[in-house]
Amino acid sequence: MLSINNISKSFGSFQALDGINLHVRRGTVFGLLGPNGAGKTTLIRIVNHIIAPDSGTLVFDGHPMTDTDVMQIGYLPEERGLYKKMRVGEQAVYLARLKGLDKTTAEQRLHQWFDRLEINDWWNRRVEELSKGMQQKVQFVVTVLHNPQLLIFDEPFSGFDPVNADLLKREILNLKQQGSTIIFSTHNMPSAEELCDDIALINHAHVVLSGPLADIKAQNPGKDLDRIFIDTVKQ
Amino acid sequence: MNKILLVIQREYFTRVKKPSFWILSLVVPILLAGVYAIPIILAARPLEHANVLVVDDSGLFQGQFRSGRDITYHEAGSIDYARRQLEQTDTLDAIVYIPARETTLPRDAYLYYRTDAPSMTVQSDVNSQLQEILRNRILLDVHGLTPDDYTMLTTTHIKLRTQDIETGRDSFLQVKIALGIILAMLVFIAVFMFGSQVMRGVMEEKTSRIVEVIVCSVKPFQLMMGKVVGIGLVGLTQFALWVILSAVAVTGVQLTNADLFEQVAQRNNRTEIASKGSEATTQYQTAQYQAEQYQAGEGIDNSLQDLIQGLTDINYGLIILLFIFYFVFGYLLYASLFAAAGSLVDNDTDSQQFTLPLTIPLLLSILLMPAMINEPSGSISVWLSIIPFTSPAAMLLRIPFGVPVWQVVLSMLLLLATFPLCIWAAAKIYRSAILRYGQKTTWRDVWHLIKR
Repeated sequence: MLSINNISKSFGSFQALDGINLHVRRGTVFGLLGPNGAGKTTLIRIVNHIIAPDSGTLVFDGHPMTDTDVMQIGYLPEERGLYKKMRVGEQAVYLARLKGLDKTTAEQRLHQWFDRLEINDWWNRRVEELSKGMQQKVQFVVTVLHNPQLLIFDEPFSGFDPVNADLLKREILNLKQQGSTIIFSTHNMPSAEELCDDIALINHAHVVLSGPLADIKAQNPGKDLDRIFIDTVKQ
Repeated sequence: MNKILLVIQREYFTRVKKPSFWILSLVVPILLAGVYAIPIILAARPLEHANVLVVDDSGLFQGQFRSGRDITYHEAGSIDYARRQLEQTDTLDAIVYIPARETTLPRDAYLYYRTDAPSMTVQSDVNSQLQEILRNRILLDVHGLTPDDYTMLTTTHIKLRTQDIETGRDSFLQVKIALGIILAMLVFIAVFMFGSQVMRGVMEEKTSRIVEVIVCSVKPFQLMMGKVVGIGLVGLTQFALWVILSAVAVTGVQLTNADLFEQVAQRNNRTEIASKGSEATTQYQTAQYQAEQYQAGEGIDNSLQDLIQGLTDINYGLIILLFIFYFVFGYLLYASLFAAAGSLVDNDTDSQQFTLPLTIPLLLSILLMPAMINEPSGSISVWLSIIPFTSPAAMLLRIPFGVPVWQVVLSMLLLLATFPLCIWAAAKIYRSAILRYGQKTTWRDVWHLIKR
């Protein structure tokens, strides 16, 4: 689905990514793991064409990735935000239209999703009146609304209470079943262990460990992912 | 392209739907109508009539006080009697008392009242009549001149007209100065008001972090330009509403107070006829006619006539076109820079560092306004009206005075050439800075961003 080939990026004298190679298989959940400041968000921004890499290429669905391919991505950034003064429905429709949906389809799908997540009553409220968890739900819906082939969630569970985190987890697995490919960046190891098919561990701009989760666990018998993470980072 | 339209739409409608937009759209025309109507309503309002009792112990003012529309003067023999009258009668408002003379000429006169001080009208009328009567007395006794002789000697009818020697038309300088100042201030305020809205909008997107989601769907340049254009359209809508609503408000005031306006118009007509007659007046004509005219206050009405003539002398079509041109392109130039400034900062307090240098050029053209008015074709005026960053305000200030065509064309071309450069530089800064958080940006960083 997505190949990241030899991507490097530096900001001034700071090397954020150094020769990153990764392969994300279609229809899987790919866990992008690593401590804070390892370069995960930079890599995700490069995949989203928000910033350009200094060198390296991206291959999307078998061809060099273009700007139109970005429309096939749904991205939920770690730092989330909405226009505070805008009404929930109006805003969600706007963001969906920016992703290329027409107004009627956007409204239709939004109502379906909002019903499912029980936030339809909030359609005409201003975003600033919503609780943080509620805003996160709205953002999640907006991210997946245009049925993207590739979904990127950056720390999706931060800020969710356990009930909503569980709801979100189920939705992610649901999306996987429907055929979406998911890149999922986190340092919450239990949730990574639960959801991911493949993982990659990034530390100090390099990929230090990658492969199918099952293989990695087999190579480190008796250790949970948390232990493997800490040991690898410490080396 | 479709996406930039979506951005424009959002920026436009979220602002136009706000109550504050409509409040501002309504307040300005109401203020304008008020400024227009209040003096006329006040002028037409009948004053309360005042009765004043004159007690003259000096013997110089006897029978000389003239009663008018608002004030009637009565005479009394003694101050004691007058005082009793003031205490007992409600219809009496004040006493003018001139004590007996100790020197040749009286030094003090008194205006007595009970409880309520007499109005300014009464005070100034009493005062001017006192001066006039005494002056006439001196003229007659010392120089043997009658009041009419005096009026004839002191009232002249010469007026300085500043005219173009070829066309023979008046320059109507006062009107042009006023118009120039209004135009320059208007463009200055508009560019700043809407420019800083762009900056706040950019900062809102940055601080709320929504920008990261949006730049996945639209290019940063499209987002920035969509915002700039959307808010610019809000500005144009605001102007259009001001013009239309002001016209409605002024007409409304005229229609609802038709009788008052009629009165004032008639009064103006009367004095106009009087002052037209004055041109034929020679010193042989009866002094009485002149005295009448003197009272009519022709000075004021002549300048009113000048104002009207001056206002009709101006090429409004040209001014409106140039105003729109300089607003649109001046706004595009500044708004894109404001957008860049907004993208560089995380919070309001830091924004000062970048907005101050932006405000300096336009502020300069406002601060140098007196110098430019003094010499609309002087070198300061010419330079400021050609340099793109100051030209919007400076050129509009000069336009009513008449500007050589080549200067206008050069100024417009330079502005047209500069605004894309500003947008280009702003876009480069914006693109990289919009996702930077937590670092304080310096001017050196800005330079690196542009160079990249």
